[in-house]
Formats: sequence, structure tokens, C-alpha cells
Amino acid sequence: MRKKKPVAAARAKTTTAAPAKRSTSVGDGADAQQQLIASRVRAGLFALFTLLSLAITSGSVGVEGKFAFWVDKVGGTDVAFSVPVVLLWAAVTVGFGAMAALQLVRGASFRWRLAIGLVSPVLVFALLARLLDGTTANLTVFFTSTLLYTVPVGIGALAGIIAERSGFLNIAVEGKLLFGAMIGSIASSITGIAIAGPIAGAIFGALVSLFLAWLGIRYKVDQIIAGTVINIGALGVTTFAYLRILQPYSEFNRPIGITPIQIPFLSDIPVIGPILFSLSPYFYIAVGLVLFFTYMIYRTRWGLRLRAAGEQPNAAGTVGIDVVKLRYRAMLVAGLLAGFAGSYIALSGTGGFGVNTSAGKGFIALAAVIFGAWNPVYAFGAALIFGMTSAATTLLSGLGVSLPPQILLSMPYIVTIIVVAGLIGRVRAPASAGRPYDQG
Amino acid sequence: MNGLKKFGSKIRIPALSISVALLVGAIFIIFTDIEVLGGLLSDPIGALSLGIGRAAASYSALFRGAFGDPENIGKALASNGDIKLWARALRPIVESVVASVPLIFVGLGVSVAFRTGIFNIGGAGQYTMGAVGGTLAALLFGAGVTPAPIAILLVMIFGVIGGAAWAFIPGYLKARVGASEVITTIMLNFIAGQFVFFLVSNFEFIQKPPRIQPVSKELSQFVDLPGILPISALRMDISIIIALLTAVAVSWFLFRSTRGFELRAAGLNLAAAKYAGIGAGTSIITAMLISGAISGLGGALVAVGTIKQLSPGIAGSVGFTAIAIALVGGTRPSGVVATALVFGLLQHGGSLMQVETSIPIEMLLFIQALVIAFIAAPELTLGILKNPFRRRPRSVAK
Repeated sequence: MRKKKPVAAARAKTTTAAPAKRSTSVGDGADAQQQLIASRVRAGLFALFTLLSLAITSGSVGVEGKFAFWVDKVGGTDVAFSVPVVLLWAAVTVGFGAMAALQLVRGASFRWRLAIGLVSPVLVFALLARLLDGTTANLTVFFTSTLLYTVPVGIGALAGIIAERSGFLNIAVEGKLLFGAMIGSIASSITGIAIAGPIAGAIFGALVSLFLAWLGIRYKVDQIIAGTVINIGALGVTTFAYLRILQPYSEFNRPIGITPIQIPFLSDIPVIGPILFSLSPYFYIAVGLVLFFTYMIYRTRWGLRLRAAGEQPNAAGTVGIDVVKLRYRAMLVAGLLAGFAGSYIALSGTGGFGVNTSAGKGFIALAAVIFGAWNPVYAFGAALIFGMTSAATTLLSGLGVSLPPQILLSMPYIVTIIVVAGLIGRVRAPASAGRPYDQG
Repeated sequence: MNGLKKFGSKIRIPALSISVALLVGAIFIIFTDIEVLGGLLSDPIGALSLGIGRAAASYSALFRGAFGDPENIGKALASNGDIKLWARALRPIVESVVASVPLIFVGLGVSVAFRTGIFNIGGAGQYTMGAVGGTLAALLFGAGVTPAPIAILLVMIFGVIGGAAWAFIPGYLKARVGASEVITTIMLNFIAGQFVFFLVSNFEFIQKPPRIQPVSKELSQFVDLPGILPISALRMDISIIIALLTAVAVSWFLFRSTRGFELRAAGLNLAAAKYAGIGAGTSIITAMLISGAISGLGGALVAVGTIKQLSPGIAGSVGFTAIAIALVGGTRPSGVVATALVFGLLQHGGSLMQVETSIPIEMLLFIQALVIAFIAAPELTLGILKNPFRRRPRSVAK
């Protein structure tokens, strides 16, 4: 890999100039041109969606979408209701139409991420209602599975954001999720204490993360290669340990599940209670973590230093910030988070750890990082949208509705490629993510 | 003598890495054995010797699975040309070579991208899409629609197109808008898997008749790649020859052609290459197209010739292994072929190890990860060789 060093050096040289250019030329030049093009592409896409949904609207007159809610508690009394599909689709059409118009008029300053966030729930409903085909969908299940999907993906994304904000490209979230899941399951099974699972998962995730940081910082191994090492190694080690220990001696893989909690009073609210306030404690912790780290990143000295190290480590080093230490600490935090997220996968459901149990969620977390433009709240929102598609797929296949689920399941990946390509709006990674730092 | 010395210095780190990784693997085998762990406190020496014995038995199975059982080889030698005995003696080594074929292809493909400074993690996806292309070609043109040689040629062409098309997406995005190829190729790997799932579960033309499992029809009914060994019981087809020819072609391209020189220059220093008039964008796209085409060719040949079926998980861990191979082989075609053969031996040997001593073959993934780490951090590897306990002074090159 010694051969790659000149490339890194060359990259470093070209990028020292790049951020400066970006910061001075928000209003003019090639960058503005690109933004204009991107906003036009977006407007075109939204217009296309408007036409599509208009076609579906006209085709679904008289079709009823049947939904149900659990009113008092999970699995309790359900109240069924039906909505004319045409109404839902009309709403979607109006939404997309408004987005297309606003995008065209307001150009680059239109907050399209927010708009997508507002329209997609309606869109998912409309899709569901159209595809249900006479069967009744339980929306409480749909919502809770959406929210729970965001736990591993949202926290994993947070881990990615913190690492990358410090300048360490973290493609090893997937590997840390796997390790966190396995160690969490084992610790919980051996000790018989429910809380031991998440704690052990987090600690082991941190150790793995520090190893990754050590490879990348001390030995200057290309951060992508180091991340790949962790991902491959995690798959190998956890599968090996599962087949060799956890499967034959299943007493090591019978964790105490972390079951949903009923928040007093709030969980008694009709309809909303079973959806929002009867979830796994993991979810509430995840929301808390996201809010906490959003505050930390944007409003504290630590956050400012973190971002400085990720954008201009040399400048940060010049003013006396210990970039190396800061990156190690960021990786420590990222590892704690990713391991914690991994423990959720093994401890929330039934059956504990399984082979490749994270099933690519770590990579979807990376997608959420990019889609959310390295902002924890946006990334969490992206995880919610991905969670919704996943929940819709599960729901539809459970109801026996024939729709190739592969298309829906590919959505997060396709969306990520489109976002990375900058076609619908440029997102900018921390300028120095992925580059080793020389403390000269 | 000088040449030998040069060769020695070249393979020192790869050989060291693989040996250390295997050693760590042995330690892993010992300390994941519940019986060993249980006896460690009461009778440490007995427990350890039990563990070491079991690790040795595992590696012995690995060796026999990779190269063949010496006993069987002895019998075959003594038998005076008994085909059955020879087939039994040679099967392990032949299967090891067969197992290395996809690794050679994807390793070569990934290497071309690496040489150009592109971290193409999409080997698995490009391989998968090549397999899709090959399968479609076999279904469309096989089974007597066109003469067998033409059908085989079409399988290869479709595989090349499938892989190249899949690699074009990240290449184009990287060249035109600077989208990180790492992210796009990872995403495309997943999409390729889902795409195959979609194909083999929705089309009667592709799916295996009762249409329950998400797998394609048996491709051997459509196209059969000719074998190259005189013993028909040993399945080694022309794909190994094509793999070796591809390696030669890649070697020629990279080190003897102008275009290859440009790609390598772009990989070494993009800014300097631009200054010298080498189009960065074209280099990236060319490299990705070639990279994908090679992986895709491998996918098509292996899907049609070796596995004879298309399934969503056809790539397995080949993408990961290919990265290890490219790095261990120094992204040099000769190195890639040699390393792929070593990994092929490990892979087939690992399957016998799994059968005989129930050590999961996934140990190889772990070993690969270690090998990559050692290769990527030569300082670390040499440090292990010298003295693991001496702290090196913190004087990294400035």
C-alpha cells in the first residue's frame, strides 16, 4: 500500500484549496451553477412525480384503503377505518406539485429535504392503501416497526457522523454492529442481567473502534482499507464464533430480551400511546443520543474542535488542538454508539445473535449519514424514511400482497447513490475525512 | 542468485502475513474450543495440549483438502494408471484450482482499479452482474440455438457487458461529479444482489421450474464449458485458461501499453498526471470499465461453468477475498494469480476442515482480514517479526 501514499498526498494538496473556494463562492461561479442545475433537476423530478401520482390518482377512484389502529394498548382493541385511496393520492399529487413549483421558483434556497420528509409519510400511506387490495393493514404495527428500525440505523449513522466529523472515514459501522450484537447477546446470556448486554456491546464496539483508529492513525493504513478489515473480520469472527460456540452451546445465546416499556400515563393516550410511548427503551435512548450529540456537535467547544479536525486538521493543529487525541476520542465514542446499536439487533427480537444478523444495516447507516448531510437529526430522519420503506415491505409481504419487495428493499441504496452523485443536491463530506493527519 | 533475492524480498511480507494470520487462526481455534476453555483452570497443560492437537488436526484436514491426501496419492501412484484412484487423489488440488478461478478474475479486476487509485469495493456486484449477463446469454443462445462455441463466446461477452455496465456507474459518477466510489460500489453490491433476487423469482424464463426457490434453471442444460483434463470426473473447464490469459493480458496492458501507463500514472499522482496531459476522468472511467469487465467475465464463466446456476448469493465473499488478494499480490497480475491460488487452496481445504473437524470455513474471512491489515501496515508486520515487545519510537516519516 505504500504506492497509494502519493495519491493521498496529491489529494491532500488539491483539497486544501477546495474548501476555501467553496466558502468564498457561495453566490457565484461554478458551484452556484452546479447548485442551479441540481435544483432544476430536482424540480423536474418533482414534476415527474406529480404527473405519476396524478395518473395513479385518476386510476384509483372508488378504491378504499382499509387501515386499523390499536387504540388502548399493543394488541388491544382495534379500530378500523377506511380512506378513499383517491384522497391520499390527491394529497400526494398536491404535495409534489407544490414542491416542484416552489423548487423552480425558490431555486437552491428551497428546503427540499424537509419537504421530502413531509411528503414521504403520506406517500407511503398512499402506496400502502393502493397496494392493500382489500386487506386491512394494522398501522400501529407499521409505525412501531418503522420507529424501531431507526434504532440501529439511526445510532449507527450517529457513530458514522461523529467519526467522520473528526476526519476518520468510518465505513466499519457494519462490522461494529455485528460485534456489538454478538457480544451483547453473550454478555446478557452469561450474566443474566438485561443491562449487561448493551453495556458489553458498547464496550466491545469501542475496543474495535479503537483498533480501527490505531490502524488508521498510528500506522496510517488507508482508512477505507482499515474499515474493510474490520467489516470482513467482524463477519468472519462472529460467524465463526456463532457456529463454533453459540450454536452448539445455545445457553450462551439466550439473552434476556430488552422488552418494550409502557411509559406511565403517556402510554394510555389513545392511538398515540401504543405507537409512541410503548416502545423499546432503546428507541428513547436513541432519540436522546441524537439530540444530545446534535447539541454537542453544533453548540459546544468539543463540537467545534471536532469539526475543525475534520475540515482543516492542519489549522486545528496550529491553534493547539491535539488532532490525534481528538480523533481517537471521537472513534471511541463512535465505537460505543455502534456497539450499543448492535446490541439492539440481538436483544430486541427473539433468538439472540444469528449469522450476519445486522444484514447490511451498517451500510444503510452510511447511506443515512450521507442523506442527512452529516447532521444527526437529518440522518435520523433519513433512517426513519428507510425504516418506513422496510416496514412497508414487511407489512405487504405479511399480507400476501404481491409486489417485488426487492425494489423497495433497494431503495435506500439507490437513494444513496443519487445523493452521493449530487444529482439532486450536493452534500459535502467533512473535507479531511479519510486523510491521515501528520502531527508535524 | 540476485533474482532469487529479489523474489524473496518481494514475497517476504505476503508470506509472513499469511503465516502469522494462520497462526492467529490456530490460536483462535484453540481458544474457542469449549472443552479447552473448561479445562484451562483445572488442568492447563492438558487442556492446551488438547487444543493444540485439535488445531493441528484441523490444519492437517485443511492441508489434505487443499492438496490431496498423501495416502490417496500414494495409492494412485502404485495403481499403475487406475483412473478412479487418480481422480480421487487429484480431486482436492483440482477443486482448489477451480475455487481460485473467480478469485483470479475479481482480484485482477480490483487490481486494475487500485492501480488507477480507485478503491473499487464493487467486485462482488460486478461479478454478480457478469453472472446475470452470462446466465441470460446461456438461456437465450444455449441449448442448440447457436452452435456451442458461439454460445460460450456470447456468455463471455454478455458477462463482460454486465460487469462493465455495473462498474461504469460508479466510474462515471466519480469522474464527473466526484462521488466517492467506495460508497457507490458498496451500494451497488447490495442492489446487484436484490436485482438477481428479483430476476430469479419473477421470470418464468429464468426461474427453476417448480418456481419456489429463488434460483435460476440449471445452466448445464444450456451451455456446457468444455473440460480440459483427461479424467472426466475432475471438473476443470476452460475458465482457468481464460483466467490465466486474462492475467497475461492485464499484465501487458498495465505495464506495456500507453493506456496502461496513463492509468498507473493517474493512480500514482493524479495531479501530476493531469499536468502531463492525462485525462483524469477518462482514466477513471476506463479503469472502472476494465475492472468491471474482468470481474463480470469471471462471474459469467463461474455461474455457467462451475456453479451452473444463478442465485442471489452467487458472489459469496468473493468481493472481500478479491480485495485481500489484490493487496497481497501487490496489484500485480502475477502476484494476484499466485495469491488467488493460495486462497483457492485455503478455501477448498477449509471446506474439508469444516466437514472433518467442524471448524467453520468462515475462519478464512477472519484470516483474510488479518492478512489485509498486515499488508496494509507493513510497519506493523515487520514489527511483529522483529520484537513485539519493544516500543518503537514515535518517529513517523514527515
